[in-house]
Amino acid sequence: MSTTAKNVNLAPLGQANPRPARFYLSMALRYLVLIAIGLVLFTPFILATLGSFKTDAEIIAFPPKFLPQNWLVENWAKVWNTDLGQGGTFPRWLFNTAFLAVTVAVLEVIFCSMAAYSFARLKFPGRDLVFNFMLGTLMIPGAVTLIPGFVLMGKLHLLNTFWSLILPGMVSAGGIFMLTQFFKSIPSDLEEAALIDGASHLQIFKDVILPLARPALLTVFILQFQAMWNAFLQPLLYLNTPDKYVLNVALSIFQQQFKAQWNLTLVGAMFNAIPVLLLFFIFSRYYIEGVAYAGVKG
Amino acid sequence: MQKQMGNTTRSGNLAAIVTFVLILAIVLGIALLNAPTRGGPQVMASASSYLAEVGKTAIPFMIAVGILAAVLGGIAANVVRREWANPRRRQALIVGYSFLAPYLLVTLVFTVGVILFAFYISFTQYDIFSAPQWVNLENYAKAFRGLTDPIQKAFIQSLYNVFWYALIVVPIQTAAAIFLAVMLNRPMRFRQFFRMIFYAPSVTSSVVITLIFIWFYLKTGYINFLFAKVFGLVGLTWQNVNWLGDPRGLIQLVVQAFGGNIPSTQWYLRGPSIAWCAIMFQNIFTTAPTFMIMFLAALQDINPTLYEAASIDGASGWNQFWKITLPLLRPIILLVVVLGTIGALQVFDQVYLATQGGPLGTSQVPVFLVFSEALGKQGPIQMGYASALAFILAVIIFFFTFLQRRFLETGTEMY
Repeated sequence: MSTTAKNVNLAPLGQANPRPARFYLSMALRYLVLIAIGLVLFTPFILATLGSFKTDAEIIAFPPKFLPQNWLVENWAKVWNTDLGQGGTFPRWLFNTAFLAVTVAVLEVIFCSMAAYSFARLKFPGRDLVFNFMLGTLMIPGAVTLIPGFVLMGKLHLLNTFWSLILPGMVSAGGIFMLTQFFKSIPSDLEEAALIDGASHLQIFKDVILPLARPALLTVFILQFQAMWNAFLQPLLYLNTPDKYVLNVALSIFQQQFKAQWNLTLVGAMFNAIPVLLLFFIFSRYYIEGVAYAGVKG
Repeated sequence: MQKQMGNTTRSGNLAAIVTFVLILAIVLGIALLNAPTRGGPQVMASASSYLAEVGKTAIPFMIAVGILAAVLGGIAANVVRREWANPRRRQALIVGYSFLAPYLLVTLVFTVGVILFAFYISFTQYDIFSAPQWVNLENYAKAFRGLTDPIQKAFIQSLYNVFWYALIVVPIQTAAAIFLAVMLNRPMRFRQFFRMIFYAPSVTSSVVITLIFIWFYLKTGYINFLFAKVFGLVGLTWQNVNWLGDPRGLIQLVVQAFGGNIPSTQWYLRGPSIAWCAIMFQNIFTTAPTFMIMFLAALQDINPTLYEAASIDGASGWNQFWKITLPLLRPIILLVVVLGTIGALQVFDQVYLATQGGPLGTSQVPVFLVFSEALGKQGPIQMGYASALAFILAVIIFFFTFLQRRFLETGTEMY
């Protein structure tokens, strides 16, 4: 595909001479534009990283300098060693965030794939009704369930515990929808053979469908991990002692506490950004497929 | 034979009864958890004190949900009795719902249950510490009172703000996303690399991006620095702006430039404030790459022979873009526009961190208002009012989702 497109773009048919000078010029121009856009989009990260090494005075000096005068590595150590009391330390917040993100993502993969299996592969009365109901819940904005969810968690004595985020996060209509579409695309001959051999649906689900659906499961895992890692409103509402904070909430408190010390806030921000960026760089294919799938096919 | 039939009918009846009781118990249990009662430590001390409270205040709610549960249970029991006779279909029923059970339980408790509760309290005055008091449609009426009374304008102003947001952000982010996608959708080296760099702002937490941008928007920040540099190039001086604290509206600024004035009672004529524009810009920055991915996926589905044919006919790249690419992207453009609008209606993180709805309410948004009314950040706790606002927002969002469906269907007819 790429070769045909290249021919079309760069050497119009019927011309013997591909005009190399113009070709190289337009190519250089295109890369220049790409690099410029890339720089603009990546600027916040570059400036924030550099800023995180600046001194208190330098960070709010005008005009701002691009590079820090002295590289203050101890900013990073200072943030790592923050202690808000009541067990509110930075490593603790990092752990809380990672723990919640992994737990929710794993549970979601399990329960969403179960539901998706029954939507995609089983036939029983009420299935389409439940499926449409699920699509309906996709439309409910988070603001509607926010307050009553908070009240419910209070009644269950789950406020300020991780359960308040894990329990409602165990399933998501979006994840189920995505997996249902994927399961439907898996050819069913293998399962029919297994069924004739007397395998149960649980066995088919576990030994046939799940191994074949590994890329889709990974996509759901990564999207949910990222969603939970980046969640803000719910943790802000549900978790309120320093030992339970997640990074995002801790950061918002940082910002209020270190009003003028933007260098420290930026360190916190980078601590938060780096794990997700790394994960994304490693698994970008799955991320991108997931977003494209959720949007285009959903 | 006859005896066997009798057995299956009897076990079918039994299964139907069990189903009915089970559904009734689950739904009533969920209703019990979500009953609109007084909260507070005394009521929550033990299960019995809570039950006593439910008995005092939430009997109508429980009866209403009970009727719903009975109808649902009756239908389900009927289905079970019908299916039970056939072993294969009986098994399908059991297996199907066992696979669905975790999803159904979680959704019923944490989505349907809480929505029933929210819907009920949206007609009451409720602050957790005392029993909800029925006020009919007062909360809904109050939301729109800002239309006549400028003192209660908060919700109307928040809708006004998101209206500007949708009007400005959505077209720009869509155009930017298409531009980015088209730039990337060419055979090239390092394509993967560029794609990752482009996408980075939308993977990161909005809290991180917002904090970095608050720092950029400081009076001594990079944005002012950039403006000062550009102005300096043409020999002008730039007065540093306090971006996130400036309530002056764009239309107001234009009017002022011509010597006019818009009084604060006519805030709705002032246009989006500078602070709000600053937040909008930041959002375009993070959402454009997200939507870029959708356009990239769609671009890859376009048949390359179309472009080959066009270039044989001598169409320029520019013409190919307008005559082939854009029309074929139409369904995705509509989808992105609607998703963008729905996202605009639900902005929260940026506002909470950067402006808390200020200055002068010019960056107030519905979700932040729901949040602060429910927690009593501005005066008394008003959970009923907050719920009413959330439902109004939901209706607006349903409306846009409905439009999306319609547009998408007409959009795909083109193929």
